[in-house]
Amino acid sequence: MQTVRVHVPYDHTHTRRIGLWLFFISEGFLFLALISSRYYLFGLSRPEELNQALGLLITTILLLSSLTAYRAETSILHGDQGMFLRNTLATILLGSLFLVGVALEWAEAFRFFPPHTRFGTIFFTLTGMHGFHVLSGVVLLVFLYFHGRRGRFGVTNTWPVEGVIKYWHFVDVVWVFIYPTLYLVSS
Amino acid sequence: MDETRKRAQLRLGLWVFIALIILTVVELWIAFAVPRPLLYLVVINLADAWLIMEYFMHLSRMWRAEE
Repeated sequence: MQTVRVHVPYDHTHTRRIGLWLFFISEGFLFLALISSRYYLFGLSRPEELNQALGLLITTILLLSSLTAYRAETSILHGDQGMFLRNTLATILLGSLFLVGVALEWAEAFRFFPPHTRFGTIFFTLTGMHGFHVLSGVVLLVFLYFHGRRGRFGVTNTWPVEGVIKYWHFVDVVWVFIYPTLYLVSS
Repeated sequence: MDETRKRAQLRLGLWVFIALIILTVVELWIAFAVPRPLLYLVVINLADAWLIMEYFMHLSRMWRAEE
């Protein structure tokens, strides 16, 4: 009797996805610790000086960037290169706009609650750590955009796009918790 | 067929975005209209996070390597 050996190539997508989600979980704990420090150091008080309009605006911008990121991923899965590039570029612009909003927030925060005050410590740590994640997400998206322009991604090679876009959504999920923690919670 | 599927997925993304915006507005209203809003805000945040993780990050698809 003859034995026939069949080589089935291993699909790494499964392992990569698990690895990425484990990374998100570890990052989630970091932000959970920072968010809980707000309640420990400042309780449930809400400073009146917070710019609510700006907080709402940057939240909307980040949510909108998640939509464009989703559209970029969906389009590359269907082989639509043009739509992928347009939406990746839109996500980069919205992410950069969010960072400009955070910079404006910081300019106000330095006047009303400087970093050495209790709320200032929380505010600058949370927005700074999150802003750094947004910045790294923008850098990754720029990398995607330029490689995408050279046609490096397509229906058969979507993992780099999926990984970066998932990271972008994760940054959005974190902000969904930071926004009420800083701007909305009150006693 | 593929184009129809793509359009349906893009439409779904738009609906999720609209739901997230509505939840954010509700959150803002609760923060200023309801006394001690923490619990309500946590519930809305969890709903927000679930929408993003399930529809944008495809959490339930994680175990399906073929997609």
